[in-house]
Amino acid sequence: MTDLSRRRALKLLSANIALIAAGCGKPPQKVLPYVHMPERTVAGVPLQFASTLPLGGYGRGVLCSSYDGRPIKVSGNPLHPASLGSTDLFAEAHVLSLYDPDRSQASRRDGEITAWESVEGALADRLEVLRRNDGEGLRLLTGPLTSPTNLRQITELRGRYPKMKWFVHDPLADVSALSGAMLAFGVPVEAFPLVAEADILVTLGADPLGPGPAQVLNSRGFAERRRVRRGAAAAGRLYALEATPSQTGAKADHRLTLTPNEIVAVAIAMATALAAPRLPDANLSAALADVVAAIVGDMKAHPGRAIVLACPSLPAEIHALTHWINHALDAPIALRSPLSGTGDGELLDLVAELRENRVDTLLISGCNPTYTAPGDISFDRALLGRARLTVHHDQYVTETGALCQWHVPDSHPLESWGDLRGVEGTASISQPLIDRLYGTRTLTSLLSGLLGQFDAEDYDIVRATWQERGNNLSDADWRRALHDGVVPNSAPETLLLGPPKLPTIAPLKPPQASTLLLRTDPTLYDGSFANNAWLQECPKPLTKEVWGNSLGMNVVDAQRSGLVSGDTVHLTASGRGILVPVRVQPGHAPGVMSLTLGNGRQRGGEICVGVGVDAYGLRTVASPWAVEGASIARSTKGLPSYATQEQFVIDGDRDDIFPTLVLDRLPSEPPDAKTSSVATLLPPHDYASADARWAMTIDAGTCTGCNACVLACQVENNVPVVGPAEIARNRDMHWLRIDTYQLGDDDGRVGFQPVPCMHCETAPCEPVCPVGASIHDSEGLNVQVYNRCVGTRFCEANCPYKVRRFNFFGYADGQEYKNLGAEIMHAHNNPDVTVRARGVMEKCTYCVQRISEARRQAEKESRPLRDGDVTTACQNACPTQAIAFGNLQDKDAQVSRWRDQPQHFVLLSKLNTKPRTTYLADVRNPNPQLAEAKGP
Amino acid sequence: MPQIFDPGADTVVRSLFIASVGGPVFFAVLAYAIVRSPYSTGQDVVVTQPVPFSHEHHVAQLGLDCRYCHTQVEKAASAGYPPTETCMTCHSQIWTNAAMLAPVRESLADNKPIAWQRVHRLPQYAYFDHSIHIAKGVGCTTCHGPVGDMPLMYQAAPLSMQWCLDCHRDPAKNLRPKDKVFALDWRPPADQIAEGHALLTQYGIKPEHLTDCSVCHR
Repeated sequence: MTDLSRRRALKLLSANIALIAAGCGKPPQKVLPYVHMPERTVAGVPLQFASTLPLGGYGRGVLCSSYDGRPIKVSGNPLHPASLGSTDLFAEAHVLSLYDPDRSQASRRDGEITAWESVEGALADRLEVLRRNDGEGLRLLTGPLTSPTNLRQITELRGRYPKMKWFVHDPLADVSALSGAMLAFGVPVEAFPLVAEADILVTLGADPLGPGPAQVLNSRGFAERRRVRRGAAAAGRLYALEATPSQTGAKADHRLTLTPNEIVAVAIAMATALAAPRLPDANLSAALADVVAAIVGDMKAHPGRAIVLACPSLPAEIHALTHWINHALDAPIALRSPLSGTGDGELLDLVAELRENRVDTLLISGCNPTYTAPGDISFDRALLGRARLTVHHDQYVTETGALCQWHVPDSHPLESWGDLRGVEGTASISQPLIDRLYGTRTLTSLLSGLLGQFDAEDYDIVRATWQERGNNLSDADWRRALHDGVVPNSAPETLLLGPPKLPTIAPLKPPQASTLLLRTDPTLYDGSFANNAWLQECPKPLTKEVWGNSLGMNVVDAQRSGLVSGDTVHLTASGRGILVPVRVQPGHAPGVMSLTLGNGRQRGGEICVGVGVDAYGLRTVASPWAVEGASIARSTKGLPSYATQEQFVIDGDRDDIFPTLVLDRLPSEPPDAKTSSVATLLPPHDYASADARWAMTIDAGTCTGCNACVLACQVENNVPVVGPAEIARNRDMHWLRIDTYQLGDDDGRVGFQPVPCMHCETAPCEPVCPVGASIHDSEGLNVQVYNRCVGTRFCEANCPYKVRRFNFFGYADGQEYKNLGAEIMHAHNNPDVTVRARGVMEKCTYCVQRISEARRQAEKESRPLRDGDVTTACQNACPTQAIAFGNLQDKDAQVSRWRDQPQHFVLLSKLNTKPRTTYLADVRNPNPQLAEAKGP
Repeated sequence: MPQIFDPGADTVVRSLFIASVGGPVFFAVLAYAIVRSPYSTGQDVVVTQPVPFSHEHHVAQLGLDCRYCHTQVEKAASAGYPPTETCMTCHSQIWTNAAMLAPVRESLADNKPIAWQRVHRLPQYAYFDHSIHIAKGVGCTTCHGPVGDMPLMYQAAPLSMQWCLDCHRDPAKNLRPKDKVFALDWRPPADQIAEGHALLTQYGIKPEHLTDCSVCHR
């Protein structure tokens, strides 16, 4: 460069400028049409297919939208009895998991990528030996399986290798419930509560509205009994007696915070009140005895319509006792043989066999015992080294995968054939929405390999299951089952068993000083969803915590130890210790702490590693859900803890923002909309002649805070993830947030209030925008024009509802968090919604793309829009159908009818913003006998 | 004391004053002119295609309907591009050895799509839908120009937002009866204004809604 003269440099510079100016055109774009156009495809118009997605081994029926071959959205299948047209957050989040670049993409040997053929070769060699010795030493470890095909294959496998064994490891298994049922009925039985038929639901720590495969069904059932409408008020009542806060407790009409010992005593007292003989004395305090008497009185007054549910942390005897109570109450509970195969034992049995060197070939599929095993089992390299051949099969190279000799990548449920049973027993088929992205194989395919057919097609194997005697579907029926997403009449029959035996209950143990209760994580489940950034950043229903977990305790215990939220403690339980941040949360019994499982992963993807703390190690085999004698000591180290609770606070009087009403004292007419007559400076809008006035009404009474709507909104509207560092700067991007309000004083009951954009008719955001980016359309939608927005953030500051979100960085546009910017991740985006750039404001649009689509469709068919033509993503997902959306010009529309209800109210009505989003207040139905003592 | 400024200095100062005001105006006008010019919008630019497909020949001379190839124009946002097999319905019988059709034959033989160059290009934040325009009586040639006279395809309109809004503000001038939507030779009749307003009512078009941002941007 030394010979570059100044003159020459200037020449080159000007030549460059000239070239840039001349070449500054749009790059040419190519159009690639099909060579042979597939039937039924219309480019750019999504197709919907019915399928089934797994959670904890059970299936939830879904409809998947495929946009030009890419699955981009999951919604509930109305024909499927376990989803009833709704989804949960895990189903919604599957779309992101499908495109996760951290998914395992190739087979591995000792961590190094290898060809599938070498795995096949190694397995085939071993199988040759195993065939000769009847499968001695062949061991299978899976997660819970309800798939009729997989269960059929395992039965076949047992026929071929009589000495093989199959173990099931479900870290969230309710072991006490199964042994309690054995105690009560003498046979393995699963009790399935029909929550929709329960007028009185009493939970002893149980969380039927919490995360799990039955969440959608239970929530819908709860809402059926709770929905308050003029002339048709369902008068269900929910009593929650629990030691740690839960979503069920949040929605309870009466919630009592009791220690685990007191809950056992209450169960005994209830049984005694129902004339159970030979029970030890419950020794309840006088006040508690009165409450129990009132609850039992209420249950007796509703024969056949009351259920008592016990939680996993209660001992088996108490589960047996609740069976006895439910029988005495003639409770609406279906008894049936367990849907998931029980196998030859659990993880502990496999560990014993490994220690005794009785395992030759071990296939681990769909579970991650190295991470999820209780602390007194170490499922480590030394233990696994005792088997001759270990094969790991999962969607990720997990903690367990890293210790196995071979790894085979699993296919995502959206790219595989299969079948599953829903929680209520109905079978449905999973069909692939897309060809496999990588060289993955399903469990079905692997089991078929063990049966000697490595190259069989999954479709043929699943189809064969449904051609067997008993489940024979003709080709027409099979196609119908695929189309509908349900195999009709496939639920197993309920069992008619004799009355349950009354268990022998030991006298109550003296109360423990402190107990740690472990809970399923409401957004990460057992940890298998931990690499999903949508779920990591989804605020937990009660704590609003994101990117991690923390130790919950009540304020008295915290003060005694001199702790406040955010402090870090050293938690010791079962002889093992971890560091964990503290969160003070109402609703914890004295001496009781809670911590969720599923965090603190060591391997399994860029998103999940090191987020939160792993609580699995604190468990013991004997008592996986409750650890007695846990102790804490303040630590000088600081662990981060993130929550969105205080990020968007509405300024105003609590009772105005979140009114709660009592069913008996409900006003007969809707209170006058408290709109003040303050003169407005805004130009008047006249919507009287518009074809539509879009509006939404949200029923806070039936909202259980489950987050299905939050995730659905995120998927539908390309809402970006910002990551923990940005969350710490209060830059959460969710268009729809669920605000929580503590009801009563520290009794753990919580009101949930989903807050999307209010689409105010006189919107405060509009006059302050200097560039007209925030304006109204003729139907009253408050629209945000991204291309006009220059990022002043005046609108955000002026919004009293705090619903506007600003792209401080290119969260979706070049500055994505960790692996979210990978090329393949673009595939999950909804092409009907703009991906926002850095520096622009965004917010809920009422799913304007869906409104537009429905309007164009109606206009093409020359008909007016009908109620129900437009459903927003949040409304569509809601398990309790707590959201109504529609056109106020239509007086018969659901949203218009809801606005006529007595509990209808307008958020911050005195500001005269005339919001289009309004609410139905939370109505609770306390027992009149207890209401005086403890009203809402 | 000697003169610091020579007599020409006044002229220099005056020119500088004029340039300081006029310069920005000039550059603003120039920039606007460039942005609106075909150089920037791509209007009237003939794009080279792998196969020199002539709409003039196929549509005007042979009389193929637009929808023979653009099959989904009445159903979807995108009008749709014909798959190779559509070309081959005829060209497996006629002009089977024509050199200019070699890419079509290769496409079928190799099962590889023909890579056409896009002619009409809207920004991704504009959600245009062909089907609703067809349903509401906006003809193909209204936006695509005299397709029947185009041996090679070019973009006849600027496709700017101003151009879109021209029609969205006053659609009556461009509306046709349903049976004339695909006509190549449609010219506005003398009483188009009256005719157009009658069609507005017939199609149920409310122009006041058509300029909402949310109609095109989401």
